[in-house]
Amino acid sequence: MAESIRAANIEAKNADGRAVNPLLPCMCRVIRITEETPDVKTFRIQTPDGAKPFDPMPGQLAMLSVMGVGEAMFSVTAKDDDWIESSIKKVGQLTEALHSLSEGDLIGVRGPYGNHFPVEDIKGKDLLFVGGGIGLAPVRSLIRYALEHREDYGSLDVLYGSRSYGDLVFKSDIFENWPSRCNVHITIDNAEDGWDGHVGFVPTYLEEKAFSPENKAVVLCGPPIMIKFCLASLMKMGFSKENVITTLEMRMKCGVGKCGRCNIGSKYVCLDGPVFTMSELDDLPDEK
Amino acid sequence: MELKKDKLTEALLLLRGASNVILPVSNDGAPVFKLWDGVAEPCLSANTSLPPKDLLFPRSEKMYDYNVKTGNISEISSNKKQTVFGIRPCDVRSIENLDHAFLESGYTDSYYKTRRDGLTTIALACTETARTCFCDSMGLSPNDAPGADIVLNDRGDAYTVKSNTEKGEEITRLWKSLLSKETGKASKASGSVVCDFKARADKDLPEKLVARFDDPMWDKLSKACLGCGCCSFICPTCYCFDIGRENHGASGTAFRCWDSCMFSDYSRMAGGHDPRPSKKERLRNRYLHKLAYFNLRYGVTLCVGCGRCVDKCPANLDVTRAMDIISEGVRADG
Ligand code: SF4
Ligand code: SF4
Ligand code: FES
Repeated sequence: MAESIRAANIEAKNADGRAVNPLLPCMCRVIRITEETPDVKTFRIQTPDGAKPFDPMPGQLAMLSVMGVGEAMFSVTAKDDDWIESSIKKVGQLTEALHSLSEGDLIGVRGPYGNHFPVEDIKGKDLLFVGGGIGLAPVRSLIRYALEHREDYGSLDVLYGSRSYGDLVFKSDIFENWPSRCNVHITIDNAEDGWDGHVGFVPTYLEEKAFSPENKAVVLCGPPIMIKFCLASLMKMGFSKENVITTLEMRMKCGVGKCGRCNIGSKYVCLDGPVFTMSELDDLPDEK
Repeated sequence: MELKKDKLTEALLLLRGASNVILPVSNDGAPVFKLWDGVAEPCLSANTSLPPKDLLFPRSEKMYDYNVKTGNISEISSNKKQTVFGIRPCDVRSIENLDHAFLESGYTDSYYKTRRDGLTTIALACTETARTCFCDSMGLSPNDAPGADIVLNDRGDAYTVKSNTEKGEEITRLWKSLLSKETGKASKASGSVVCDFKARADKDLPEKLVARFDDPMWDKLSKACLGCGCCSFICPTCYCFDIGRENHGASGTAFRCWDSCMFSDYSRMAGGHDPRPSKKERLRNRYLHKLAYFNLRYGVTLCVGCGRCVDKCPANLDVTRAMDIISEGVRADG
């Protein structure tokens, strides 16, 4: 019998440490909406009394609801002292409802859920962040964390690409905020007027850059096909799967490992994930 | 201690003074759990066709009210006391399974916990097993229910009464004037029921199942499945749920309700990707969850051998067949 993977009991608590019902949302206000691309918006969220709804670790998830429409899980892409942010792509009914919100509107928020990027385990290492499209969203929380704890990590490289210039998310970060503080490498799939940066697919650009695997952890998020090719490139470059970290997406309802929705084998992505190393994923059945 | 059968109604009325009493009554001859009205005759001839999980995990349960205008959210909780009488050993075990799922795995489910704290179980050991019962293959006995607060054994004209817990003690105190010392002779031997229908569930079944994740047998096993979800709804241990909302203008109520991993849209994501796109993957996931994944997480099997799904599946799918194939198949190819 394999060892039981029973998790230690987590008690859901609110900001003052009182135990709460983990399925109960609190109403929060959308205080800022940024249009990232034609179909991605970033929502800055705050409680009505001006606090952040909870204090997530990089990579953790938030369940957002438009009351009367539905709920869905999103990664928290950034936090500050008094707000959290999620960046959301319009793909269905709920995300459409979110996209039609205005600043000041109320939404339901519960969380934080899931594990987080292993900020302790990767201390002292060089970090390479590889993102494609909206895949930069979960990674952004960790990039911000690493920049805030700059002395804990070695060199920081962000390699990010999208189909076109218009599809690049977090433009103010990638072109203004980050380049002075870490190495940023941006690419778009096809040449277009006005773009004088790199052109080509992310996996190819990654190989061109020839990053050394020496003492380096990679955080890789994006569309499945990009992940597949990037992983192959990374393997060619000598990285090991233990040092390549990614996040998974699954349909979720409860966020607390009960409703059964998000399992892959005996793991619940909402509870044991969404962050996994590539070698951990190899041990899970192929149902992603 | 024993309770003479002619004192049963009196005993039940005493319980009814302290909490809601739920017991099997006849519904066109088939026993179903109902809130007891104090009059109806308990129907104890066979196990109920629907499991008692409704008591702890209602098929639809209100979670909270909300108002979009005011931003108000108010939790709805039910803390009524319930005593279930006549629950069978397999269903008692199923509650132990639900306890693992809802009270462990990191988080405590508040809704479940409130109902669980208010529930007392008075089990009735079986006097015979049905055609599809295979409890004994799943490591439990039809003659005892160690997880119940009280276990009754039928001895003909009386029930022996065994208390397992503090809640059970409370009931024996309540019944004090009705209970008598066990007499030596019983008109019927209790504790000797044998479950004839066997499934091959050896203790390495979880590993064997996981190892055969990619086996073509899943295509064969799932071929006839209609995706109706009946197996999940009648299973005492299936606990998947969906969360929904009912709106009335600016206000509304969020509720959760039973769901089934056998439904085709169960894991389909917004945008269309589905990690379990066909019935093959869905059936495999249901069986593996019951017989492997739950074991890996909580150390116990999520099937109690009640046989309901074997009996009721409209396409005659049989979970014991999968167990047999796995156990034997692995042996056959060494
Ligand atoms: S009851 Fe039978 S047909 Fe219906 S979903 Fe279950 S296995 Fe399939
Ligand atoms: S899987 Fe079938 S036999 Fe096993 S507990 Fe559920 S309904 Fe009963
Ligand atoms: S979302 Fe319910 S178990 Fe993961």
